[in-house]
Amino acid sequence: MLNQQAESVIKIRDLHKCYWVGTMPFPALYGINLEIESGEFAVLAGRSGSGKSTLLNIVGALESTDSGRVEVLSRDILSMNQDQRTHFRLHNIGFIFQAYNLIRVFSARENVAYVCQLQGKSKKESMEIANHWLQEVEIGHLGYRRPDQLSGGQQQRVAVARALASNPKLILADEPTANLDSMTGRHLIRLMRELNQRLGTTFLISSHDPDVKQAASRLIKLADGQIVEAWNDIPKPPSSITSSCPMSNLPLTERLQNYFKAARGNARNKKRRRKTRRRS
Amino acid sequence: MLGNFQKAIIGSIQIHHQGFFQRPELSRTIADPDKVIANLEQAGIVNYSRRLETFGLAASDTTTQGVMLIGMDPQRESLVTELEKRIGIGRFLQSEDDYSLVVGATTASNLQVKLGDEIIIIGYDRYGAMVAESFTLVGVITSGEMGLDSGMAITNLSTLQEMVDLPEQITTIVISAEEKRIPSLVDELNQSLHEASLEIMPWYTMFPVMKEWVTLHNGFLYLFIGVVLFIVLAGEMNTMLLSMLERTREFGVLMAIGTTRYQVASMLLVEAILIGVIGIALGIILGYSIILVTSIIGIDLSILLGSTSRFYVDPLIYPHLQLDNLGITVGTILLASVLAGIYPAWRASLLQPVEAIRNG
Ligand SMILES: Nc1ncnc2c1ncn2[C@@H]1O[C@H](COP(=O)(O)OP(=O)(O)OP(=O)(O)O)[C@@H](O)[C@H]1O
Ligand SMILES: [Mg+2]
Repeated sequence: MLNQQAESVIKIRDLHKCYWVGTMPFPALYGINLEIESGEFAVLAGRSGSGKSTLLNIVGALESTDSGRVEVLSRDILSMNQDQRTHFRLHNIGFIFQAYNLIRVFSARENVAYVCQLQGKSKKESMEIANHWLQEVEIGHLGYRRPDQLSGGQQQRVAVARALASNPKLILADEPTANLDSMTGRHLIRLMRELNQRLGTTFLISSHDPDVKQAASRLIKLADGQIVEAWNDIPKPPSSITSSCPMSNLPLTERLQNYFKAARGNARNKKRRRKTRRRS
Repeated sequence: MLGNFQKAIIGSIQIHHQGFFQRPELSRTIADPDKVIANLEQAGIVNYSRRLETFGLAASDTTTQGVMLIGMDPQRESLVTELEKRIGIGRFLQSEDDYSLVVGATTASNLQVKLGDEIIIIGYDRYGAMVAESFTLVGVITSGEMGLDSGMAITNLSTLQEMVDLPEQITTIVISAEEKRIPSLVDELNQSLHEASLEIMPWYTMFPVMKEWVTLHNGFLYLFIGVVLFIVLAGEMNTMLLSMLERTREFGVLMAIGTTRYQVASMLLVEAILIGVIGIALGIILGYSIILVTSIIGIDLSILLGSTSRFYVDPLIYPHLQLDNLGITVGTILLASVLAGIYPAWRASLLQPVEAIRNG
């Protein structure tokens, strides 16, 4: 039992997260309890808007929460300040994004080597590590190419290599196959699963791709911000807004601050939508 | 422009009889010019020339015009001024000329004369008696400057001496010297010639307006640098801010995978400085080539020069590079680049990775 506790990579207790739309709190996650152990290949499934990305971002020390406890690798990430979180991410977590998100001006090799250099390794050593991981993801011969000279599947492999290059205990992948065709996606997920088994790196992957779900060592079902046992379980509605969104208990000044923060974000989104509409 | 001003007609230093500059009368000739010249040569000055200057009236068949009548030594004049180069039509005076005349273009057109025409010059001799002589027009100064092009009639020194009955007499010795040697030279001459009741005047004492103009010019340099600072600041800040916003998503990713906000900020700062450095390098190459070309062919400012040309400013300017000015400008641009980088860097350091990735 004691041993098992030490093995747990992620430990979430009664996690609540609210987004603020105007002055209205919107509960995105409520009452999440989750434990993920070392070496798991856990897949977070759920409909769009169920809170998968939100949960991954919280685990990745990228997003704040409203209440609850989140321990990653036995560290209380919620109590960390921004710089501590950055440091924690660099040394413990690898990220894979839906849209690959490689650095455009870097070659594939440089993209992978970058995190090693951030960790303080020499350029030469970083490049060697990058070469190694690019070979692991079977694109060792394409290291010199820039992202725009690679296919989506190849880019996502570079992203996997980048996530592994920092030698993390945990890799978080938010819909890694969503932008790929099913064949390419299947290959990628098989590769990730193989690496997981060989290296023992823990994976937490959000996806609604059946191939991904099939490869999972554990499937976590998320519906309306809650973990459910089966899809036909109707998640119990939050007893009240204040219980799931303790923020609404906050003093008015802080609520107003949240309101303005959200309002600014909304305005920006609106502007971006206008821009993209005009472009198309 | 300063060099041009002197070169046109005034020279660096002029020596007159005491009071001549204020009231140029023929009674105020230099008492013993040979002694003064001997003194100059002793001081190692070789670039000097004699002149006799008075006022007169130039008359053609149709009209008359008041002129400053200058007798020059055609051979030595080229040692002190570049007047000869300003002759646009005809030729400059020659030593063997007799009653030949060079006038400015404006004067020539006022008098409605052309090369070879006769011009009558009416003046006063040393006793105040009126004299009139007939001259032949051999050259016209077309400098584009009011001071030179109008109100000036130039003839041989010996001719004018004969006309006003002042054989071997002169009113003016013009000296050309290096700009930075002028003050010490004036001191030196004042000492060695102090008995002779002369006035030894550097150009800036004769034409203080020009000196002010030069000072003003330096003031303009700082104004100019201020403008440069502003333009670089605004332009580069805009560029940096745009390129930062364009890469918001990328910065979000960088931060998510472990880049600190300080690293992101310093990345942008370095970028801004690099833009400045590249700009400086390109600017120096371009600017230097322009200076190189224009220092040979000159820049013609005659359209721009309205009133200043009254002070004998040459409309053809020949730019040259001053290293200290270059240093100030380069320093300013570097400073502006750093400043232009600070705001975008600060903005970038405040990015929240999730929002940046979502919104970028
Ligand atoms: N910045 C935000 N402001 C307000 N609401 C948000 C914000 N981000 C997410 N939400 C809301 O929180 C809920 C969970 O969002 P989340 O992005 O985690 O869903 P998801 O499961 O990842 O969906 P998808 O499969 O479409 O990516 C959604 O209902 C969404 O509308
Ligand atoms: Mg999502």
